[in-house]
Amino acid sequence: MQKAMQTGLIVAIILAILTIVEYVFAVNFDHDTIRFIGLSFAAFGKAALIVYYFMHVYRLWRVEEAH
Amino acid sequence: MAVVAPTETYHAVHDHLKLNRAGLWLFFFSECVLFGLLLSARFFLEGIERGELDQLLGLGITIILLLSSVTAFTAETAIEHDNRKLANWGLIATIALGVLFTGGVAYEWSIAHFHRNEAFGTLFFTMTGIHASHVVSGIGILVLVWVQFLRGRYSSKDHWPLAGAVMYWHFVDVVWVFFYPALYLVK
Amino acid sequence: MHALKSVAGAAGLGMIGFYLGLGFVAVLRAMLGYPDAWGGEINIVGGYVLGVIGWLMGIGMWGTWSREWFGLKTYQRQAPGWQRYFTFNTDHKVIGIQYLVTFVVVFLLAGTIALGMRLELASSGMQFISHSQYNGAMGLHGILMIAVAVASVIGGTGNYAVPLMIGADDMAFPRLNALTFWLIPPVAVALLATPFLGGIETGWTAYPPLSTTTNSSQILFDLAIITFGLTSILGGLNFLITIIFMRAPGMTWGRLPIFVWSMFVTSWLALLYTQGFAVALLMIMLDRVAGMAFFNAEAGGDPLLYQHVFWFYSHPAVYIMVIPGFGIALEVISHFSRKPLFAYRYAVGAFLGILGLSGVVWAHHMFTSGMPNYLHGPFLVATELISIPTGLVFLSALGTIWMGKLWLQTPMLFAMAVIFNFACGGVTGIFLADVPTDIHLHDTYFVVAHFHYTIVGGEIFALFAGIYYWFPKMTGRMYNETLAKLHFWWMFIGFNLTFFTMHLPGVKGMNRRVADFPESLDNLNMLVSISGWLLGLSFLVFIYNMINAWIRGPVAESNPWRARTLEWQVSSPPPHENFPEQPVIKGHPYDYGVPGSVHGVFPNAIASAPAAGTAGGGQ
Repeated sequence: MQKAMQTGLIVAIILAILTIVEYVFAVNFDHDTIRFIGLSFAAFGKAALIVYYFMHVYRLWRVEEAH
Repeated sequence: MAVVAPTETYHAVHDHLKLNRAGLWLFFFSECVLFGLLLSARFFLEGIERGELDQLLGLGITIILLLSSVTAFTAETAIEHDNRKLANWGLIATIALGVLFTGGVAYEWSIAHFHRNEAFGTLFFTMTGIHASHVVSGIGILVLVWVQFLRGRYSSKDHWPLAGAVMYWHFVDVVWVFFYPALYLVK
Repeated sequence: MHALKSVAGAAGLGMIGFYLGLGFVAVLRAMLGYPDAWGGEINIVGGYVLGVIGWLMGIGMWGTWSREWFGLKTYQRQAPGWQRYFTFNTDHKVIGIQYLVTFVVVFLLAGTIALGMRLELASSGMQFISHSQYNGAMGLHGILMIAVAVASVIGGTGNYAVPLMIGADDMAFPRLNALTFWLIPPVAVALLATPFLGGIETGWTAYPPLSTTTNSSQILFDLAIITFGLTSILGGLNFLITIIFMRAPGMTWGRLPIFVWSMFVTSWLALLYTQGFAVALLMIMLDRVAGMAFFNAEAGGDPLLYQHVFWFYSHPAVYIMVIPGFGIALEVISHFSRKPLFAYRYAVGAFLGILGLSGVVWAHHMFTSGMPNYLHGPFLVATELISIPTGLVFLSALGTIWMGKLWLQTPMLFAMAVIFNFACGGVTGIFLADVPTDIHLHDTYFVVAHFHYTIVGGEIFALFAGIYYWFPKMTGRMYNETLAKLHFWWMFIGFNLTFFTMHLPGVKGMNRRVADFPESLDNLNMLVSISGWLLGLSFLVFIYNMINAWIRGPVAESNPWRARTLEWQVSSPPPHENFPEQPVIKGHPYDYGVPGSVHGVFPNAIASAPAAGTAGGGQ
């Protein structure tokens, strides 16, 4: 329980930091293409984190261990 | 051709958890196309241009939705370990944060500096509206799940409705991860 | 009468929901201060949504499913005999027959509309109906036939045969399966109500700006097709999970019957692309109802956006229609040639190739739309690349027929006609994929002839192959072979006369979607109309044969075709659980004439081993 919650909270903190960085970067950066690319990277990274750690996509192909 | 006589009743056994989970993922794939097309429409019509938006409000509701994902995760992890008290608070917090997010979007709509009969307004209201409708349906599902939870239906062995609702909630969050920069930050 | 009570009650609840929705929106509008609280299209939207919910709950979704959401006990009413076809039944065999019968009826209805159109088009000038009535008839014919093409093979034969062929006891989500069928009646009601609001004047493609300004039937069209898309998506999802997770032991991907493979690929297409149609129609709805500006060029919108989003679905949709057609054709050809399916792996690869390519070809519908010129080349090339996997399907079919011991029963005749017709449709497709010829041929009757060759010739012929092939399994009775062959030749000749001739006025520039044409094309059009009626009348033979056989045909054997796939190893019709026990797969389904080969066996049943063995070893 504790370990699972710990992982989740660390991921959540990373997500929060990414969101803030994304925001500061977008507001202060002035090159359209690079801003677009940077934002896309951030978005895909965040999505991947959520899909893996929160939505547990690996449970599709991994046999469930008993909790 | 000899036909097999039904000797006794036979019932195939299926791992319904596996089927349900995979089915829900396929549903998400399908929804991805819906949201992806809306996103493409946004860039097709307007490029990266955007109307005037309240940046702090945008950041605020994004953080709220992220927080709600964390509480949803908490609820699921807690029920997996039979921690009913924590799961209860996780569900309540998720529903409350979802309502707060919806309120934020509604407030955003009411103070918008553009109108729905211009291109950016059309895109903004459609994209946030369809996303918000998913949030609202997610809240509805979570409320139903919460009621069943209070009646003691779920345990670490059997909590698929809760897990499914939480997965749906995370998916709605993933959509916002893409919509938020595309609408607020890209220009 | 259980059936009557079930349907009438559900319809009543649906009507109550409809009026509640109308009123609910009206109250909201009055509260928000709109002057015409009752007059908007948004009232129809509200009414439709609540109406569909009421209908579904009434037909049995409440008892079988929704009670569970509130923690209540679910129950399922068991209606006896034929009456179960009118209830929320979760048996895939019942649902398959529900789909088939419904869509054969819709097919005949839409065909009748086409006969009416051909009557008007028999000679130049306006004889029977006005231009706007013609447009409405054309739109209705188009969308009903699209619905038939999308749902009849997938929902009908697919639902019936796929779980049986892979050795499963039912679909993965039986209640979802029933839901996809029972969403169809509201769709049908909404579409059939369109003539009363002025008719679908846009045709089934619903291009803006006409669709954002035309009469209110457009809103019913949008709602109906979004619902229909939902059934398509949920159906595809169900098939995918069923095929991935519920195959019998030993049924590896390499031993999957080719029809199941085609359903697998088609389900991916339906799952992923159908959202495109829904999004496109949603945008039209928002433009009409909420005053948005997606397609309003004045306010920064772009009508081309619609065409992109729409064809992003609607081109893959033709593969949704035709791939299961190929699947049935290959399946039938192998069984009736008494030979292993030639190039099985290539055929599977071809289906997967079509799945991969179908998403990048949509703009070949838009060569004359004014999209940027640099898009022409890539879409031309991608479109013509599709002929490679399609060619592999032909390779497989012809290689199987070659040196085979052909058994020319009705299903085989239809399956071979699929190959013949689709070759013609494919060849004419090349002219439409090439930009220079397409600019001349776009929106002429050449296009109409082309897609009727691919969809009717490719899929509807396969649908009939499937109906005749599985009829004894579904009903436990045998149809009259002579009448069936009469139907085949009558339909085949009528079809080819109609649509081959139709290319000619197209090349001469006769516009589609228009009720009138120059006098110089009178003779050709008269010929098309007469052959069209010939084609239409052939279905009378079909209807008579089917009804007659179902009521008092001779009792069918369990395996009249001596086929090896699993569905033929059980009684006709199969028991409720499909198989008396878990079947185990030992070999490839098409190894006819391979000594000692077996496909499926029932290891524990007493009488089973020799049964499966004989089926397998048969020449």
